[in-house]
Amino acid sequence: MKKRSGTSYLWRLFLLSVVGLTISLPFVWMVSASFKPHNEVEHPQIVPEHPRLSNYPIILNISPDPVTHKKLDLKFGRWYFNSLLIAFSTTFLQVLTSAMAAFAFARLKWKGRDTVFLCYLATMMIPGVVLMIPNFQILVWLHFLNTYHGLIISSAFSAFGTFLLRQFMLSVSPALDEAATIDGANPWQIFWEVVMPLTRPGLIALTILTFLGSYQSFFWPLILLNDDQLFPMPVGMLALNSSYGKQTELIMAATVLNIVPLIILFVVFQKFMVNGLQLGGVKG
Amino acid sequence: MSGKKKDVFTALSFLLPNLIGFLAFTLLPVILSFCMAFTNWSLKPAIASHYLGLQNFIDILGARSIQHGQPIYLALYCFCILALLTGTMSALWAQMADWKGTRAGAFVIALTGLALIWHGIHTASQGLLLSGLLAAAVGTAASFQDKPWRFGTGTIPSLLILFGAMGTTLTQQSVNSAYELRDPYFYQYLYNTVFLMIGIPFGIAGSLALAILLHEQLPTGPPRMRIILGSLNLILALLLGSAAWIFINPNLGLITALFFLVSAAGFAFNVVAFRTLFYLPTFTAGVALMILWHELYNPKTGPINTGLAALFHLLGVHAHPPEWLASVTWAKPALIVMGIWTGIGGMNMLLYLAGLSNMPKELLEAAEMDGAGEWSKFRHIVWPQLAPTTFFITIMGIIGGLQGGFEQARVMTNGGPAGSTTTLSYYIYTKAFQDLDMGYAAAISWTLFAIVFAATALNWKFGKGLESD
Repeated sequence: MKKRSGTSYLWRLFLLSVVGLTISLPFVWMVSASFKPHNEVEHPQIVPEHPRLSNYPIILNISPDPVTHKKLDLKFGRWYFNSLLIAFSTTFLQVLTSAMAAFAFARLKWKGRDTVFLCYLATMMIPGVVLMIPNFQILVWLHFLNTYHGLIISSAFSAFGTFLLRQFMLSVSPALDEAATIDGANPWQIFWEVVMPLTRPGLIALTILTFLGSYQSFFWPLILLNDDQLFPMPVGMLALNSSYGKQTELIMAATVLNIVPLIILFVVFQKFMVNGLQLGGVKG
Repeated sequence: MSGKKKDVFTALSFLLPNLIGFLAFTLLPVILSFCMAFTNWSLKPAIASHYLGLQNFIDILGARSIQHGQPIYLALYCFCILALLTGTMSALWAQMADWKGTRAGAFVIALTGLALIWHGIHTASQGLLLSGLLAAAVGTAASFQDKPWRFGTGTIPSLLILFGAMGTTLTQQSVNSAYELRDPYFYQYLYNTVFLMIGIPFGIAGSLALAILLHEQLPTGPPRMRIILGSLNLILALLLGSAAWIFINPNLGLITALFFLVSAAGFAFNVVAFRTLFYLPTFTAGVALMILWHELYNPKTGPINTGLAALFHLLGVHAHPPEWLASVTWAKPALIVMGIWTGIGGMNMLLYLAGLSNMPKELLEAAEMDGAGEWSKFRHIVWPQLAPTTFFITIMGIIGGLQGGFEQARVMTNGGPAGSTTTLSYYIYTKAFQDLDMGYAAAISWTLFAIVFAATALNWKFGKGLESD
């Protein structure tokens, strides 16, 4: 390898750059289309001749649509808020309940523990589509349709999260628990002060996975919600696309507003993300 | 005694929040869904639900006779399909377990594939053509192994394939005229789902290639050198980019400049720059990206088709670029390409990178001492070492693929044109939430579960052999 490193390294760089270019071109086109005036969108030229910023205020409902001279019938800011609210509360609840259950499975001894855990594992194999239909029926019975809490509560529990954190907690030495017990700590103190700090990598991984999954989730909110005040971003995007799909420049401005926060989040937390996502690879 | 009770109480206090959710939103739904599948459960309050027995499943999978059918032909047809499936699986197994006569068997498979292609051309059937191509390719590849030509155990599965394929094509005509499927959509959508999974092997190969390119740091030398080379690339980006912009066309200028910008980033931050860039589509995947690709694929104004039209013009070809999502033929390939773009640098690449960095260095060094070339190093060391990773990725890909396709169908195509991009999960959605026929939808979802389960079990069986290789 060492002998030919000069040329093979340029080849590698060349191939990587070609792939990088292919990956980035759609994003570049998206950004450029979001700055184009309506009559330029259909031009093949990527860089706009008369770039304008005004697509963004239109999408954000600050200024009126140049075609109809009316403000758009959109609640873009509200959708952002909804997405964040739903994602934060789902993530918080799911990580908390998973950690508590994982502690009960990994660190406490009680009768029937392994049987219950086996039930958890068995249900992980059932595909999501199988659960969607009866879950919808259950939420109808509970009068949870079209509410934030219906959406949040129904996705606040996860057998996968419990499983992942249990694996992490099993790797914490049991001697620590025993030492803490001798010092007079009760199980709750052991949970908060001994086990939780030591499972931090697992908690970070689960937090990232859950947050991302919840922020991008589409199927479940689409079914549960039909009031556009409550839409999270992905469902809102679909509504936007079906009413203003002809105005590509506006749609692309909305897409940019949708994707850019994620890109910033990713670049800032790059190191955590890659490790965390690798750990969560089991989820597929 | 009281100590044990206290233990259970403590455990319960930790478990309870999760357990309630688990019971209410996982265990109860599983049971409820199973019960629904045997009823005509509907969301319309006017319809009272009652027990149907296996009727839903018969409607999904079964056939009915439209004229005096010959049951013997139907039985023969089903038997031949069964033989085909069994043959395919045992042929795979024979390959894995290195049975005698696999080379002769592979030759038979290749011949069967050629016959299928010929038949597919005659009847203009895409499916036959595709499976024929697949069989021919796999068979040819396997018959070039360095093993003796022998007629042995491995040939029997191949003969099963041959007779199965012959039998199905012979009886097809009479069965088709006498019977019709109760729910032809189910099979069409199953076919769509499997067709869209063609992207999986390409995606895996791409991820592996990228991981191999990425797993060693680029030898960019000392920091001084990196700054010089990086700035050189920036200058090249500016110079060549603006030259192409002025003399050829602005788009080409932009692309050239971007290319050198990416390599400049490579010099500055090494492989991390590429890894981050490749991961972006996976990270941002979702409805927004699908809407973006819907615009990219726009047949008239989308950049893909304007680019293709310019290319055709340049080459002097008189052809129209495909209509992509608006065309029955091209909608599925379009979705496959989008899927590869999204997933190539994602989780699979990261898993391969982890696998490569866990690989013992001594193995490769020993092979180099023996004078092994790049290809034989890959074939005999890297690939077998990565087999567990590949196995995991394949299983996950198949499970996800069989259940997938809902989002793109809902956002990009509405399952069309003519149902060509409707997958089983989208079919379940339309049945349940548009027709409000929950019982039937639940029955489809359990059928899908059975398929996923069977595929995973088979993978497990064959994959284990691969891993111990």
